[in-house]
Amino acid sequence: MALRELRKLRKLELPDTVPLSPILDLWDQQEPSGPDATGIYDFYRNLADGELTTTECKGCGKLLFPPVIICPYCNGNDMEWVRIPEEGELYAFTELKLGAPIIVENYAPFVIAIARFGNYPENGVQLSGMMFDVRYEDLKIGDKVKWDILEIVGPGDKARYWYYFKKV
Amino acid sequence: MRRVAIVGAGITKFGVREASWKDLVQEAGKAVFDDIPNLDKKDIDSLFVGAAQPERWVFQTHVAPLVAELLGINVTRAIARTEVACASGQAAIRYAWLSIATGLSDVALVLGVEKMNTKFMNVSQSSMINVGNREFDGANGFTAPPFFALAAQRHMHDYGTTKEQLAMVRVKNAEYGSYNPYAQFQKKVTVEKVLESRMVAPPLTLFDCSAITDGAAALILASEEKARQLTDTPVWILGGVQHVDAAHTTNQMGDLSEWVALRKAAKDLYSMVGIEAKDIDIAEVHDCFTISEIIEYEELGFCRKGEGGKFIEEGESYIGGKVAVNPGGGLLSNGHPLGATGIRQAWEVVMQFRGEVPKERYVDGAEIAIAHNLSGMAQLHHLMAYSVNKPQDVKFGR
Repeated sequence: MALRELRKLRKLELPDTVPLSPILDLWDQQEPSGPDATGIYDFYRNLADGELTTTECKGCGKLLFPPVIICPYCNGNDMEWVRIPEEGELYAFTELKLGAPIIVENYAPFVIAIARFGNYPENGVQLSGMMFDVRYEDLKIGDKVKWDILEIVGPGDKARYWYYFKKV
Repeated sequence: MRRVAIVGAGITKFGVREASWKDLVQEAGKAVFDDIPNLDKKDIDSLFVGAAQPERWVFQTHVAPLVAELLGINVTRAIARTEVACASGQAAIRYAWLSIATGLSDVALVLGVEKMNTKFMNVSQSSMINVGNREFDGANGFTAPPFFALAAQRHMHDYGTTKEQLAMVRVKNAEYGSYNPYAQFQKKVTVEKVLESRMVAPPLTLFDCSAITDGAAALILASEEKARQLTDTPVWILGGVQHVDAAHTTNQMGDLSEWVALRKAAKDLYSMVGIEAKDIDIAEVHDCFTISEIIEYEELGFCRKGEGGKFIEEGESYIGGKVAVNPGGGLLSNGHPLGATGIRQAWEVVMQFRGEVPKERYVDGAEIAIAHNLSGMAQLHHLMAYSVNKPQDVKFGR
């Protein structure tokens, strides 16, 4: 006979459900202040204003992506926010069919691409990005793409923004 | 610097294991202690544990002292857990080597372990996303398979490599894996079977990818003096390097079909230990995906840049070819428990040098081996060189 039937055991009662762990949410660092603050908050504010931007070091002129608060090349901390050219070129792409991250697995399969904007690597950036409403078979290396703003809806009420690529 | 040798090696069965993280640690520990019965545990003064993401997969941190407890090791000199994602295992070997070479430690236990198959499998898979830059690449779904798919697409575009050539890497490694009783996958495959397996991220199919694996492996490293007391078959560490070119995020990766950091690391290693690519008998390389092994042939100098596909097609990476690459079946057959892989590669080298592998995958007369571990999206490359012959001098090439 099981112990619980022989004796009245003390119970430790846990919640029915445990919320989705924040470690699985990929867009959490978008706060200007508080414990989740990020020194590159302007990147997210600019996304909310419809602009994909990054930092350029005023000291050495290096275009930096991801944006940072201190230049890894000259240690300067005087940064200018610059707009990433809207139109770029597809460098490589695939379509994630198995093993998508849990938070976006409802969207799988989706295209994941790398595109180059501006004159990479001298004065441009190479970005990864998702593509929707397009299949792997519809794309080829060298295709023109544009970045656009993606609105992240949920979990919770906070409006968050990201970017994605679309074929021109 | 003092000379350092591997004097004992043990491994667990790799695969989807009905075993906890702690069970795996104990199995690997027992395997290495059984391998070197005249070792007194009291002689072990240091412990290095390769473990990539125990926090995410088994919710445990501070794992090095836990391993000490599970294996009954009293550490008096140096202890640490090493983490560089997929190469956490080789890092553990590296720090044990350095600790002994500098004279701080005499005998070190090195153990690599990962428990990746859990009841929360989608959490396990999602945990690979934070190996790249989580905020800027992870948020685009950039796990390992899509990244290596992009590298494959570019290599095919830039050099004319074919999907069939990618598949041939799996065919070779599956053949050797079929003679490895510890491997996760022990069945031979054909090119057709690889091409027909489920698409993960084109051009990579399921068989182009290594697996989510549970496993552990362990080594005992010792100073020359201790090694002489403990074994007649030491495997000497000749040297090792790691290279990363200030790169972690896509923007810093440049051309995906060029692994410049590996090219530089190989040149650096060969110069440090006084060998050329043609001197290498066994290369344990990081075939996390079939394309990885093809690019590695090139950057390690086994063939010219762009000719990696031809190299496998012509059979040059088989035993009996120019260099025996992954005669234990590689990551593709063994599976890839992140923290254990680098140790498993060293285990394979030890077993090969001792002649303790089935004849079908034995590299007869091998004297020099290298092991290549990579981490993340191939930004960071880790190399070590091993030999049956004692090195003349260890000066780190300076």
